[in-house]
Amino acid sequence: MTGRNTDRLWLPDRMSRRDAFKVGGGLALAAGLSACGVGNGSGTVDEAATERAIEPKIDGDLVYFNYAQYVDPALVKQFEKKYGVQVRESYFDSMPAMMAKLGSGNRYDLIFPSAEFADKLVKGNQLLKIPRDKLSAIGDVYPFFDDPWYDPGSEHTVPYSLYLTGLGYRADEIDTMTGSWRDIVNPQADGRSFLLDDFQEVIGMANLVNGYDLNATEADQLSESRDYVVGLKPKLRGFSTDTITNMSSGNAWIQHLWNGDVINIRYRVDDPSSIQFQKNKEGWPVGSDVFAIPTNAQHPGTALKFIDFMLENSAQNSTWTGYPMPTDSATKPYAELTDGEPELQVSVDDLEKGQQFANLEGADREAWDRTWIEIKAS
Amino acid sequence: MSERRFAGLTLLPGAGWLVLLFLIPLGITLAISFGVTDDLGNAVYAWRPENYSQVFDPLFVPVLLRSVGYAAATVTLCLLIGYPIAYFIARFGGKYKYLLVALVVLPFLVNYLIRVYAWVAILSDEGLINGILKDMGMTTDGVRFLNTPFAVVGGLVYGYMAFMILPVYAALDRMDSSLIEAGKDLYANGWQTFRHVTWPATFQGVLAGSVLVFLPAVGDFVSAQLLGGPDTYMVGNLIQQQFFEANNYPFGAALTTVLMAFLLIFMVFYLRSAGRASEEARA
Repeated sequence: MTGRNTDRLWLPDRMSRRDAFKVGGGLALAAGLSACGVGNGSGTVDEAATERAIEPKIDGDLVYFNYAQYVDPALVKQFEKKYGVQVRESYFDSMPAMMAKLGSGNRYDLIFPSAEFADKLVKGNQLLKIPRDKLSAIGDVYPFFDDPWYDPGSEHTVPYSLYLTGLGYRADEIDTMTGSWRDIVNPQADGRSFLLDDFQEVIGMANLVNGYDLNATEADQLSESRDYVVGLKPKLRGFSTDTITNMSSGNAWIQHLWNGDVINIRYRVDDPSSIQFQKNKEGWPVGSDVFAIPTNAQHPGTALKFIDFMLENSAQNSTWTGYPMPTDSATKPYAELTDGEPELQVSVDDLEKGQQFANLEGADREAWDRTWIEIKAS
Repeated sequence: MSERRFAGLTLLPGAGWLVLLFLIPLGITLAISFGVTDDLGNAVYAWRPENYSQVFDPLFVPVLLRSVGYAAATVTLCLLIGYPIAYFIARFGGKYKYLLVALVVLPFLVNYLIRVYAWVAILSDEGLINGILKDMGMTTDGVRFLNTPFAVVGGLVYGYMAFMILPVYAALDRMDSSLIEAGKDLYANGWQTFRHVTWPATFQGVLAGSVLVFLPAVGDFVSAQLLGGPDTYMVGNLIQQQFFEANNYPFGAALTTVLMAFLLIFMVFYLRSAGRASEEARA
């Protein structure tokens, strides 16, 4: 053991991107359930609703809806001061919880969906068109996102953050990583291996290991991927999205995680260099969470100002959240933060070579859900 | 105001509570369990009884058995640990009795989730207990407490212990302690007195405690989520996954409804037993 403080009694002050997932919001979800848009038909609204023009001027306090700990609070304070408004923050802990709140008619000015959910919201005419020419910092955003699959022409969204999924490991305990996903059950970890508790990431990882497309949906491909993960289970310690806790408490020596969590784990351990990250040769999922303004937003002007402000300050925000941001100005500070480790960065090349999770619908989605239940229940 | 009318009025708050916070949500759950989801993942009322045929899948049998097994182990441990605590407080608590009862309840002022998180901190490989064990030289590698079935059951026992202690304590407190002295006067030893006097007198309390612990333990998901491993998946986790991850409210609601119906069997069994006991007491 390197000088790790074994007496540390930590509590989860920092959370992984989707970590509160299972943890926080039973009540929030229950509230959403009883009030939710049950029975309101297809949930889609008229396309014309997305056309309401947004003027880039402050039109009230910002009603903001995001994961907790996913924006530097100092920047929020600065924004409030600069424009003399309040940012009224509320949090979701999973995409389904966010959708439930939206579906029950809650009005937010700014939300942060992941790409797949942005796809659902765009198709359902739930997002206002964002006038890109009125964002002074838009030129800073990677052109890779000019026409993303989830939002043709980038009309309704602006990319917020980037993530890449790989394996985090304890370099002070494990020196036989081979660059493959199969290292998840490296014998040196001796049963201290965690997979993410996330159906997309686990099934997608298994698809990649088996040489299939990340989003493969064929029945025989999915059953092969299921069998692969079920075969891992005896050597796993668990499925957990609480990656920061797992690694900083010593419970995980190998953890399936999002790259930004590595930075957050390093912030919490005595020997940051002991926490390393591996991009895997079979392929890697990449993704982006985005800014979006719902059609029923009451203060879209303030939201637009906020997006611009966050783009301008993406370098600082990236350093604070530990996640790379898809802007030129954030690229270098993030590279410095990660000591120039290419593994942890998400370059345009990584984005192009990586694969993004699709918004699976209908029978395809059911097949993935079924596979996941079979993995967990077997 | 007539007494009858007054009695009717006093029923109102309780009835209102039940309707608002129990019957209406239950009705919504039932209605959604036959529903479908739209493209945005919102539940929509419909008629899709197939949600229920999905529930009765052999795949879920081991999950249900595991949940019942964990809950039964939890009840047993709560009884073995909780009964002596209740006994001590009722018989020997003296003027500190109410303080001790308050101490039993005190942890419940903190959210269950936070308390389970605290256990993660305490039991981690590099956590508090392993730190002490290592300092004492009792282990070099650390003991792996977490992510095991034992940790899950431990979390459940810790989480629901008060539900056992309180009814058992109430039964012991109600019991006339001269009965125990009478038993001793009749030359019964300690065990015989317990077996023939104390246990029967507190059995209804034990039964109530067992039901109160068993029901939430079967449906719990927090303990398995935070303290469990790859093979500790419980019914509560399955249901929770339908709501939080699969965005499949109808299937989650169908699972919930069937689980409630299953648990109702235990409830009916308990109510009948309690009813019989109170009739015997009157007779």
